[in-house]
Amino acid sequence: MNPSSHPPGDAPVPSPENWKNDEAALLTMLEEIERKHGYIPHQIGDEVSRLLEVKLERLKRAQAKLETGIRRDVQQHVARWRGEEGNLIMILHAIQNQYGYVPREVAMELARELGVRLARIYEVITFYHYFKLQPPGKHNVTVCNGTACYLKGAAGLLNELRAQLGVGEGQTTPDREFHVDVVRCIGCCGMSPAVVCDGKTHGRVKPTDIAGLLAGIRSQAKEAKP
Amino acid sequence: MKPLTPADLEKLATQPPVPAPEYVRVQLDTGGIAAGAEETLGAFRLALSAANLAVPVQRVGSHGRSWADPVVEIAAGGLPPILYGSVSAAVAPQIVAAHLQQRRLIDDHVVSTARAATAIAAPVTHLLVLDTGVGEAKTQFFQFSFAEELKRRGLAEQVQVVRALDLGVYDEGVAVQLLPSGVTYTNVLAPDVLRIIEQSIEGRKVIDDLLWKHPDPQVRIVLRNCGAIDPEELQDYLSFAQGYQGLRKALAKTPEQVIEEMKVSGLRGRGGAGFPTWLKWNNTRIQKAEPRYIICNGDEGDPGAFMDRSVLESDPHSVLEGLLIGGYAIGASMGYFYIRAEYPKAVERVERAIAQAREAGLLGKNILGTGFSFDAKIRLGAGAFVCGEETALIASIEGKRGSPSPRPPYPSVRGLWGQPTAINNVETLANVSAILLRGGAWYAGYGTETSKGTKVFAVTGKVKLAQLVEVPMGTTLRTIVFDVCGGVLEDKEIKAVQTGGPSGGVIPDKHLDTPVAYETLQQLGSIMGSGGMIVMDSTDSMVDVAKFFLKFCVDESCGKCAPCRIGGYQMLQVLDRISRGRGNIDDRATLRRICQAMQKASLCGLGQTAPNPVLSTLRYFDDEYQAYIEGGPSYARKMARAAAGGVEPARAAVPATAD
Repeated sequence: MNPSSHPPGDAPVPSPENWKNDEAALLTMLEEIERKHGYIPHQIGDEVSRLLEVKLERLKRAQAKLETGIRRDVQQHVARWRGEEGNLIMILHAIQNQYGYVPREVAMELARELGVRLARIYEVITFYHYFKLQPPGKHNVTVCNGTACYLKGAAGLLNELRAQLGVGEGQTTPDREFHVDVVRCIGCCGMSPAVVCDGKTHGRVKPTDIAGLLAGIRSQAKEAKP
Repeated sequence: MKPLTPADLEKLATQPPVPAPEYVRVQLDTGGIAAGAEETLGAFRLALSAANLAVPVQRVGSHGRSWADPVVEIAAGGLPPILYGSVSAAVAPQIVAAHLQQRRLIDDHVVSTARAATAIAAPVTHLLVLDTGVGEAKTQFFQFSFAEELKRRGLAEQVQVVRALDLGVYDEGVAVQLLPSGVTYTNVLAPDVLRIIEQSIEGRKVIDDLLWKHPDPQVRIVLRNCGAIDPEELQDYLSFAQGYQGLRKALAKTPEQVIEEMKVSGLRGRGGAGFPTWLKWNNTRIQKAEPRYIICNGDEGDPGAFMDRSVLESDPHSVLEGLLIGGYAIGASMGYFYIRAEYPKAVERVERAIAQAREAGLLGKNILGTGFSFDAKIRLGAGAFVCGEETALIASIEGKRGSPSPRPPYPSVRGLWGQPTAINNVETLANVSAILLRGGAWYAGYGTETSKGTKVFAVTGKVKLAQLVEVPMGTTLRTIVFDVCGGVLEDKEIKAVQTGGPSGGVIPDKHLDTPVAYETLQQLGSIMGSGGMIVMDSTDSMVDVAKFFLKFCVDESCGKCAPCRIGGYQMLQVLDRISRGRGNIDDRATLRRICQAMQKASLCGLGQTAPNPVLSTLRYFDDEYQAYIEGGPSYARKMARAAAGGVEPARAAVPATAD
């Protein structure tokens, strides 16, 4: 990726792989060329603008595909509940199940499809805790804060998570790897305090177990990759 | 499954099929699955097929002992049904090898359910031993003593001595239970070992002075099928649980007669307020408007309560049957289940139950040829506590924000879509099917004068055995905490029991002998609520607890009415100040004033009851608030420790500063 490894004098037309995904790399490369030649040769300028157009076209196509995808999904969910009065919440559940949250584009599409105002949909989404407007992290760590868990030290678990990940309740780590959340009660009071990691419930968790839990998630993710 | 006819149901009632004599039942509810019950189930299947045994492995719901999850019940090898607790996948093959192949039990897993037997009919095959006293250190010694003595007498082959996990007896010294009879001896001392072996094992005579005579305080009506049938199979419910027989009996009566039966039973709403169920149904029935609706309220939002989840997961058909009966009584043609989205397993099982009932002709047009038509649907909650309130719940089913609206008009007059609607709690409906099956008079035989029947409590917090408990109304809190749930964790002092969730209050230890009923709890400044019961020990700060519940209510306030929106927030500010040691002496008066305003002026139950935790802690733990205001949190903790230890605060201060 380092542009200086391709001396521009030898290869005036840069390989698109070098910078097509990386604006910063492109700029660095152009600067490098300018420094070396005192100007930017027109072949390179032409090539860059051609590739940019190709990229833009691709983006547009992806956008259109996404929009038809969203439209199709929304239409499917609406069709499932059409004719039922008061179906909005059930449709939102279906959408959240699919995307993990309610993306803005989907909500807009849903408003069009149902023929109601967007505000009416957001009114419902924001009232209920269950619906999320932000994409969840790759891994979700949920601490139960029901009364039983609270008494048995859920606050200590949250503190430990903050110490380990640097984020607290309702926040996602900057690398979007972990999302920490607090729920009211998951009904596992017999095993309090409870922590749910990616859908798996762990009971009787101590603050000292948190590091192990996080390491377990990380290593599982690593195993799954190759 | 082809549609059932009334004749089919009648045949099932008079000649129920014989259940399989041998089985392995793994309890798979959310709690069990979280503890690894699915792995356990797989391990049993594997071990059984490896051992070439044809014992069926059944999936059942949970009977409530969540502390022992995963729980497995086994009837095989000529032994009575034995309950095993904490059965991880690694333990499963051990149980198969010992129990099913050699009729031997394994140590540290047996949970006894038999109690208070008074005769030894069959030869003793197993001795369960457990030290139930503080420390619980003598179990092994007694196991050794019994085993040695039996060996000396050549009985080691016939009688196995097993360390139990739980005998249903607490703080009664060493307890010994003889299987298969279930005779239990308590406070057994070393010299008694010989007596028990000579008289009870060899002579089959009961030793009266050691005998445990207290019957089980629990009565299982709501939880009658939980842990006994497969919740995902309608056939199980029909065959082994008298399923839909209550509906058959209801349909043979007029709706008025059904309501009359409910009146005889004295059943009151189990959601918290305790409104008589028959009256609610009658008020809905007498409305002229059509159609009418019935709703099952499964929005169990109280933190620390999981009765409704457990019933919906373990016995969904009994709730559906109750909904059908209620629908028939009020003349409704459509019923809704409103269930929290946080309970996916419950949603899945109710969905399945509805589909199966539809297939069997128990839902739909002309049910059982009686001309009664009814259908049921599910609506999901979305994490809003206020939606447990009737009018908010209706708004949520209509697809709107769950804001409550003023009553009257009550939902029985103008409810869902403006039509007459009856809303009943999950537990109420699970009672209904049992009442119609066995009669209102039978049900009214349990409980107190004004609170009939039984109540399920989810006992959690600082308690040894966190579990679901079903006791007749009028049972004391002390019985529930100490005789059923084994007392306080680490044998600490009990400080208070909190009932009713964020709408309830704390009940201090001096009132533990109060019989539990709607009115008695109200007098103590708490409420019955849906049945969450949280035990707190001497280390728990009441100011923190009040703050915890108030924070919950402030978060959950819908913001529609000012007393709740503003009052709750202001109280939280004051409480926060006090808990950080910055309170001043007028704060308690301020809190009381805001509490009163909220109680009087709030629109719905959430705002009206949100002050309860604050008021009840102020009422019973004024000293603690005082200590917080005078000296801050660490001083208050020190005072509380001193009070619990019964030591003068001045003297207690020395070791407290040393550590």
